[in-house]
This record gives sequence, C-alpha cells and structure tokens, in this order.
Amino acid sequence: METLLEVHDLVKVFRGTRAVDGVSFAIPKGRIVGLLGPNGAGKTTTIHMLLGLITPTSGRITYFGREFSRHRRECLQRINFASSFNTLQGRISVRENLLVFAHLYGIRRPRARIDRLASYFGVGRLLDARYWDLSAGERTRVNLIKALLNDPQLILMDEPTAALDPDIADRTLALIEEIRRTAGVSILYTSHDMHEVTRICDDVIFLDRGRIFAHDTPLGLTKRIRTATLTLTFDGDRGAVERTLRGRVERFRFVQPFAVMIDTSEQAIPRLIFEVGEAGVWITGIDVKKPTLEDVFLSIARGGGRVE
Amino acid sequence: MWSERIKGVLLQEAYITRRSLEVIVDLFYTSLVTVVVFGFVSRFLMGVTNVHTGSYLILGLLLWEIIRVNQYSLSVGSLWNIWSHNLSNMFVAPLSVTEYVVAHMLSALLKTLVTFCGICAIAAWWFHFNVLQMGLVNLALFFANLTMFAWSVGLVLLGVIFQIGTRIQALAWGMIFLFQPLTAAFFPLSALPPAIRAVAYTLPPTFVFEAARRALQVPGTNWAYLGIAAAENVAYFALATAAFAWMLARSRLSGRLARAEG
Repeated sequence: METLLEVHDLVKVFRGTRAVDGVSFAIPKGRIVGLLGPNGAGKTTTIHMLLGLITPTSGRITYFGREFSRHRRECLQRINFASSFNTLQGRISVRENLLVFAHLYGIRRPRARIDRLASYFGVGRLLDARYWDLSAGERTRVNLIKALLNDPQLILMDEPTAALDPDIADRTLALIEEIRRTAGVSILYTSHDMHEVTRICDDVIFLDRGRIFAHDTPLGLTKRIRTATLTLTFDGDRGAVERTLRGRVERFRFVQPFAVMIDTSEQAIPRLIFEVGEAGVWITGIDVKKPTLEDVFLSIARGGGRVE
Repeated sequence: MWSERIKGVLLQEAYITRRSLEVIVDLFYTSLVTVVVFGFVSRFLMGVTNVHTGSYLILGLLLWEIIRVNQYSLSVGSLWNIWSHNLSNMFVAPLSVTEYVVAHMLSALLKTLVTFCGICAIAAWWFHFNVLQMGLVNLALFFANLTMFAWSVGLVLLGVIFQIGTRIQALAWGMIFLFQPLTAAFFPLSALPPAIRAVAYTLPPTFVFEAARRALQVPGTNWAYLGIAAAENVAYFALATAAFAWMLARSRLSGRLARAEG
C-alpha cells in the first residue's frame, strides 16, 4: 500500500523538555489514523511539525516519498489542514476567504470549485455571509471546504469537532467519513473524543509525554485491556455466589444485595455465568461492559503510559 | 504560480481593507485629518514667520505619511491574520514567506500611493501647496527611499511580532513615530541638538527630508543626499531582511509562530 506520510524518529525539545520524543509512524493511502493522548502528550506539536509551523529538533518527515524540509511547497500543495483552533478571516465573507485560499493553492476556476464544495457541504447559501457570523457548526464545514479546496491526498485534522454540540459533531463526522469514502483521502486525526476515534479511525496512535505508547487498530487497543466487567443480578443464596467466585476471579464486589460486579477476562465470562448458575441461584440479569478506547486512554493517562 | 499566490494575499488585503473601519480610519482618515490640521498650521505660520517654515511643515507631513502608511500596512497586515487565528492556515498553504512578505509590501505600496495622492491633492487644492514643484524625479526618489525605509522598519516589527507575539502589537502602529523627531521630518536638521543630529545622520529619511526642503527653494536634485539615503536604505533593508529571517527561524524553533495566534 502506498505510504503518504512517513515520520521517522521525530524529536522536539523545548527548553530542555522533550515535547516529542522519537515518534515514528506512517500513514498509508486511504487510511484514517488517530493521534490520541492526554493534554501535553505532544499531539499538537507533532501536527505543527508535520505542517512546518515548528522546526523539529531532529527526525525526518517524508510526504509522498519526498523529504518535507527540502520539498516544502510541493508537499504542502498536496496536503491540507483543518482545526477547530484555526479560523478564517472573520470580517470577510466565506466566498472571499475561500477565494484567497484557492489562489494560494493555485486552483483553476476557483469560483466553480467553491460553489461545488459549498453545495456538497450544504453551505451554499452562506457563501456571501461574513465568516464571523456563522455558527460553530457552519464554520467547521467551511473549514472542511478550505481543507478540500486543493483536492488533497492527506488532511491533517486537529480536533475538528471540538466546541461542537453532539449533533453537529456527529454530522461533521459523517461528512469526514463521506470525504474519505468519495475522495479516498487519508486523514491524520487528533481528538479527545474516544467515540469519534473508535468510529472513524482505522489505526490509533497513543502518545504520552511525547512518546508513542501504543499503535494499533481501535479493536486491537481495547483488547490490550484484558479486564471486562460482568454484572450479574440473581435470586438465591448470596453465600453460594461468593463461594463460587472466590479463587476463580481476581476481584468482585456486591453492588446490591443480589447483584455482583466481577472484573474478569472477556474469555472467562461464559464459563463464569455457567458456574454461578450451577451454584443454585437463578440469574435474572447479565450486563457485560467491554473495555473501550476510553479505558485504554485512561489507563495510559493515569498509569504512566502502561496498558494492562 | 508565485503570482497566483501573491494575488491571493493581495486579494485578502483588499477584502480586509474594504471591510475594516479600523484600516480606513488608521490610514485614510488619519492622513486626511492630519493634512488638514497641518495645512492650517502651515498657513498660519506662513503669515507670521518665514514663508518656508509653513512649507516645511506640510511638506514634512506629506512625506512622513509615505513612511507611516507603508510601515503600518506591512506590519498590521499580518496582525489581521493573527487576530483571526488564520496565520497558520496561510503558512501551511504552499505560500513561501518571501511571497507573503512581498505581497504585503505591494499592498502597502498601493495603499500608500492612494493615500499620498489623496493628501497631496488636498494640500494642492486647499492649501495651495503643490508637491510637484519639487519635480517629478525628486518626488519619485523621495517616495522610493521613504518606502524602502518603512519596509525595513515594518519587516523588523513583523519579525518581532512572529518572535514575541501580539504582546508587542502596539509597536506595529506606534514605534514608527520614534523616527519623526530623529529624522527631522518637520524642521531643518540644524534644529536638532548635535548628539541627536549624529543619530539622524544614520537614518535615510533625514537626508530625504533635507533634500526635499532644499528642493523647495533651489530647483534640482540633491544627488549627494539621495545617494547617501539610498546607500543607507540598502544597508537597512539587508539588515532588516536578515533580522526578519532570523526571528522567523527562531519563532519556528521555539514554537512561537504556531502559538502566535493564541
């Protein structure tokens, strides 16, 4: 598979602090890669180095097989950027803003391109409105239009749905999924929202204190947390349940007189249910909480980068 | 392609100028009001003192606006992008810093030409002061020299803004006035104390203002003064470009460029 972006041993030191510490990864064509991590993990610094806004201390960035530091313009011509932290000029209209960027990217017949994208994103009626008069959701869509103006092969997105309400965030994600499906564009996506990442990312890179602690698919990452939580509600002898569980599982507790919460591996769940049933109680309810990407994130954030 | 990108920045400048009352007030309105005030003061002075005193004042003002408008446009043009959190978007487009700066210089030049023509017309019509009496060659050389000096100052200030951030943004429109007394914009150089006069000799506009005042009295071009001004300007512009490049590189290293938008 063709690799669009290759990052090798990227390091950024700010006044003796290694904000990014030997980060290496690649983004193949057509993939959405999530860059996750707690605040201060180095996500935004990494994105800024990938865009040339920050000069790395060391390391190599290659787009489309070409060294970014030597072929800056050529690389930037084929990528784009969208962030909720960067907006367009507020005083001028959406169309004027987009025309400026169309010229910067050397787009042929810019007005037609802008009209087509605006219609696709449902903001055609807003083209003559001033950018600062738009709602947060409308701005996000206009930012995405800007990011698609040059028909990029790779888009770097820095928390594009931050500050959006859940409904608009959901619609924005749907648009991003559609962009990937129809334009085949690759995306490097940073977010704090684990549900978003689970929904749209093919691969996830977990950064903590500037280092990559995990790089896997969302499913692969959640499987690294072996403990699921099984809650059984039952009718019958509580002592029998306690005796059955003791020695078989690492941890359990009764959350109600006739409800027990058990931390166990996913694979052991069917056997446990069977054994508790065999203990002579009537199981009236079963609830299984599988580990999510959020659990992985919390495990990294709270556990110094360790995943169980 | 480079012309397309420069055109893009120029378009942005045109859109912002058209939509921003601040720009219209800071550039056109301020120049207009100042020339009217200075016009009346010079008319008054012509009546009570040497006739040249009043002429020096309005001439100095007209030429000073070339410096002010050029420098303001160059430095504040980028601040609009910083205030809008749009600078990163500009710099992650395939636009080189050289193209970005050249576009802002062209925009500054255009705004200065429009403003200068406007205030010169007012000075001629209302106060019967015709800048063309110095000769077109003189005027062109004065304009070029003062523009180059303004760009040098503007470039350094732009670099400082990229390096330090908007904390020092007031310098973008305030610092240039430091050069007003130092370059003897409104009075003969001889009026300055010797110590300040020594500093004035190191600044190109000093020679332009002196040459302009002389041109009002004696026809012809003061090639010696304009030569010194041009030589100093070349040195200043080279230094300003190097300083700007250094500060930009430093701000990319320190991450301040990315954080400039807050």
